[in-house]
Amino acid sequence: MTQTADVVIIGAGAAGLAFAWAVAAPNLKVLVLEAGGFVDQRRAPSLEPDWELALQTTYNANPNVRRGPADYPVEDNDSAIRPAIFNAVGGSTIRWGAHFPRLRPSDFRRRTLDGVAADWPLSYADLEPYFDLNDTMMGVSGLAGDPANPPRSPRSCPPLPLCPATRRLAAAFDRLGWHWWPSDAAIISRAREGRAACNNCGPCGVGCPRHARASADVAYLAAAMARGVELRANTTVTKLDRSGGHVTKVRYVDANGPGYVSCGEVVMAGNALGNARLLGGIIDNPLFGKGLMLHPTAIVTALFDDHPQSWRGAFAAALVSQEFYESKKTHGFTGGFQLQALRGQGPLTTALGGYGLRLPWGENHAQEFAARFGRSLSLTVTCDDLPEYVNQIALHKTLTDRHGLAVPRMIYRVGENSQKILEFGIARASEALREAGARQIAVNPLTRNGGFHLMGTARMGADDKVSVTDAQGRVHGMRNLSIIDASTFVTAAAVNPTPTLQAIALRAGTAMREGYSAKRATR
Amino acid sequence: MTHQLTALLDTLLPGDGADWPAAGAHGLAARTTALASGVPNGAEALAAVLAALPTAFDTFAQPQREDVLRRIEAEESARFVAVITATYNAYYTDPAIRDIIERMTGYPNRPPQPEGYDLDPFDESLLDAVKARGPIWRSVD
Repeated sequence: MTQTADVVIIGAGAAGLAFAWAVAAPNLKVLVLEAGGFVDQRRAPSLEPDWELALQTTYNANPNVRRGPADYPVEDNDSAIRPAIFNAVGGSTIRWGAHFPRLRPSDFRRRTLDGVAADWPLSYADLEPYFDLNDTMMGVSGLAGDPANPPRSPRSCPPLPLCPATRRLAAAFDRLGWHWWPSDAAIISRAREGRAACNNCGPCGVGCPRHARASADVAYLAAAMARGVELRANTTVTKLDRSGGHVTKVRYVDANGPGYVSCGEVVMAGNALGNARLLGGIIDNPLFGKGLMLHPTAIVTALFDDHPQSWRGAFAAALVSQEFYESKKTHGFTGGFQLQALRGQGPLTTALGGYGLRLPWGENHAQEFAARFGRSLSLTVTCDDLPEYVNQIALHKTLTDRHGLAVPRMIYRVGENSQKILEFGIARASEALREAGARQIAVNPLTRNGGFHLMGTARMGADDKVSVTDAQGRVHGMRNLSIIDASTFVTAAAVNPTPTLQAIALRAGTAMREGYSAKRATR
Repeated sequence: MTHQLTALLDTLLPGDGADWPAAGAHGLAARTTALASGVPNGAEALAAVLAALPTAFDTFAQPQREDVLRRIEAEESARFVAVITATYNAYYTDPAIRDIIERMTGYPNRPPQPEGYDLDPFDESLLDAVKARGPIWRSVD
């Protein structure tokens, strides 16, 4: 078994596997350590009649409820939003909706443009080739030409179709004069090698047996292994040994007991929570852990009188409105929000409340079910979130997990600016849904289980006094430690982070590979 | 206790006397018990709610039963939610109930996969109005 490696990557999720593929090179030993196991999506719960039960158990997004073998506890008593992460090969892309928007150019320049947060040490233009490369690897359906975003290369597949409910929403946006566009989705609408085209089934969040919906394992693992990357699943990293500015060993435990790897470069890709468990005592920068951003999300649900059968189609990847995305002085807040259409859910999830309130038990239950199931369409209000230092990941002083690692604490409250965006966004979402013909509007003002976008806590920057890493994720003051997931985000933007975090990982992996190549050429 | 559980389920999900059956009369006591037992503290929650029922609960009329359950719901909120969840889980995964759902809504009584639904082409003409507005993103150059 390998006990030395040039590059050890901790975490085989969206960032870790993209980075592994990008850094891989002949004669470069790249090892990925992942605490979770493999998930066989070919046998996804959506093949079973009881598939909705899996959303409460094995596919529950909250690790404190799911309690899978690779899950560690997260203390969230001081957080308005609960964690929603998945520990497995593929990471949280096993459990996602595959909505695939990019950050905009302005998101990288908020200090210059709006006087808030900080500018990133890289730009949209720096990332653009890696966005495109990542789109090719993941497989993206969509349509170039969105007027709310810079021009982009043609999508590899045409957009997923609208359904009766989303068509009426699109028409409502048109009548209001608001922007909308079919989602870029990491769900292929045309077959490619090893992956069938989407068949519009709906519940992408429980894995895709057709591999139409991308996940990091489906998109990157085989390609990375073909380049010589070694992946060890069910291997939990328990400690990093440090000597001066070097991490010298990565200690782990697997089915055979404890072990360690001596390594050249150590690359953290375990998200803000997972990274914090290992980097306490390694990074002594007081900024580390601070500035957690979560995209506080409201969900506004319309109920229609007629029956558009809104369960058909990818639940989270139909269309998006970015009409209110950019800062505008008259709004009374900085930043903006995205309105993302969410289709109706299955019968059981509808009864249990879906995106809103549980259906009442008792005499009116059957009537309420009939009034809601298949008749709903929701809009998220996905808010920009400023990096406020009170929002953070810390380590619990006394609680430890089964490996003896300190339990991470998620400390988060919705900031004043985000709250203003939420309120304005809820009003706009309600307006759009009423225009679409809703008979009734239900508002979930804050999705408590919405901690799916963990950003910040290890902000990148050119100035090491106000940042934790440089633009390639290299930790200031350390010679061989990098962080390459969304922890390094400087601003949150108002869109799902995965395409951007993967582009950053590809860029950093490419730079590290080229660095090795240059070193060897000069020997 | 089965008659109490049946009465409890019939009160939570009484049906509508026409299309939808009551959960207890439909025979979901065993399935509900099994599903409650499958989650942490679920069996204990169900036992506690059953123990809180008056002995004659099953002889009460629906309004009286609902009054009893609302009191328990207020006093034992977390446990009651666990029981509701197990009950809904049993009801909405039951094949006969799913047949009713199919008949009334068109939602097919089969898993989402492997069949799925037709993937129609996207109609790009829907975007004519949006395209006509021109760019709305902020340039940083």
